[in-house]
Amino acid sequence: MISQIPINLFRLVLLLLAQILIFSNVNYSSFINPYVFPLFILLLPFETPRWLLMLVGFSSGLLLDYFLGSIGMHAAACLLIGYLRPFLINIITPKGTEFEISPNIFAQGTTWFIVYLGITMFIYLTLYFFVEAATFLNFFFMLLKIFLSVLCSVFFMLIFLFLFSSKKKKRFA
Amino acid sequence: MYNLYQFFLRYYLLLLFLSLETFCVYLIYQNKHYNQVAYMNMANEASGKVYSLYQGVSDYFYLRNYNDSLVKENAYLRAQLLDSKYICKIDSGHISDSTAKNVQRYTYITARVIRNSVNEASNLIFLDRGRLQGVQKQMGVINANGIVGQVVSVTDNYSAAMSVLSKEFKVSARFKKNDFFGNLHWDGINSTTASLEDIPKHVPVKIGDTLVTSGFSQLFPRNIMIGTVKSLKMEADKNFLEITVNLSTNFGSLGYVYVVNDMKKVEIQSLDSLVK
Repeated sequence: MISQIPINLFRLVLLLLAQILIFSNVNYSSFINPYVFPLFILLLPFETPRWLLMLVGFSSGLLLDYFLGSIGMHAAACLLIGYLRPFLINIITPKGTEFEISPNIFAQGTTWFIVYLGITMFIYLTLYFFVEAATFLNFFFMLLKIFLSVLCSVFFMLIFLFLFSSKKKKRFA
Repeated sequence: MYNLYQFFLRYYLLLLFLSLETFCVYLIYQNKHYNQVAYMNMANEASGKVYSLYQGVSDYFYLRNYNDSLVKENAYLRAQLLDSKYICKIDSGHISDSTAKNVQRYTYITARVIRNSVNEASNLIFLDRGRLQGVQKQMGVINANGIVGQVVSVTDNYSAAMSVLSKEFKVSARFKKNDFFGNLHWDGINSTTASLEDIPKHVPVKIGDTLVTSGFSQLFPRNIMIGTVKSLKMEADKNFLEITVNLSTNFGSLGYVYVVNDMKKVEIQSLDSLVK
């Protein structure tokens, strides 16, 4: 478990820089607002205890907030997906699957990842956008914004996964 | 006691989750009030460093654009010089008053934008000037094309301004041709338009009319460009026009801005408190 810390820290820094310098810096349109940062929480090892998932989610969310100037909003959303992650993995994983140490696109498969990322990002962005706007006005605009942003986020996350996942299957357990 | 222990053992995850979420809600709520509360140092030194490092590199790609806008502004300022005006007044019995000094009211602090966004519900702009350079909270921010925003948070060397594209931002806008004024605020969707409120129906408004700042607040000097009327709607059951304004500032490409320092601000505010 200890051996997983450096790789996750590296991923944290990489995703944080990608988020603040690229995805939150390039303004495509008000409809598309991709967030790749939550991938950090989604790729933590399967065995991570749930209290640690929540604490890591919360503090990494605050870190992102610190750079984006949205104190509390990303922390709330990251905490939520950290809390929900174990339930979700239980639901979408077929019984009897052999687990790697952490989610890996070459082990779990692309379909599993699209479902996994799609659902978590939908929860994440729904919470974030509504908290950010602090209103339910423009409801359909918000729905469209959430939908497009989820699509875009998942697309970039998949690119990230294909680029940085190790193909070598490590058997632990 | 044993039951209590069992309860915590069973629900400690949910309790942890709820307490952390509550803390988040508290943080969000605290930072909602841009103007009243000194909200956590949004422009913090650490993130300021990261952004200005990045901006230092990306600035090179926009040098041509910055030059173009500076040249344009120079030309505009040159046109304002007394030398480039034709003096119509014929000096007959006119006393030229050399004793009355022009008292300076506004000074401008130049700043570079180190972070900018247009697609959030409240967009913040980070500037590389702070308290040590004379920037204070509640100062207006403008650029060559028009108004940009208002400083909301300052550290020693950096500051954060909420741009016009923020749901908390309001500015009073005045029609250049007839001096009617109303409140301008962002509609939250399109980064090039805002909506203008409180203009009564009897005011003659045409598409393309120019809006400038009123100079009523201590944020902006008078006659700073805001935008032009894009469309207007008149609804039978309302007393006011619904006006959409094309903002003159291009918020997608802010390079350099000016922070407005109103030297009469304290005096005007003391007048305010006298009246109350």
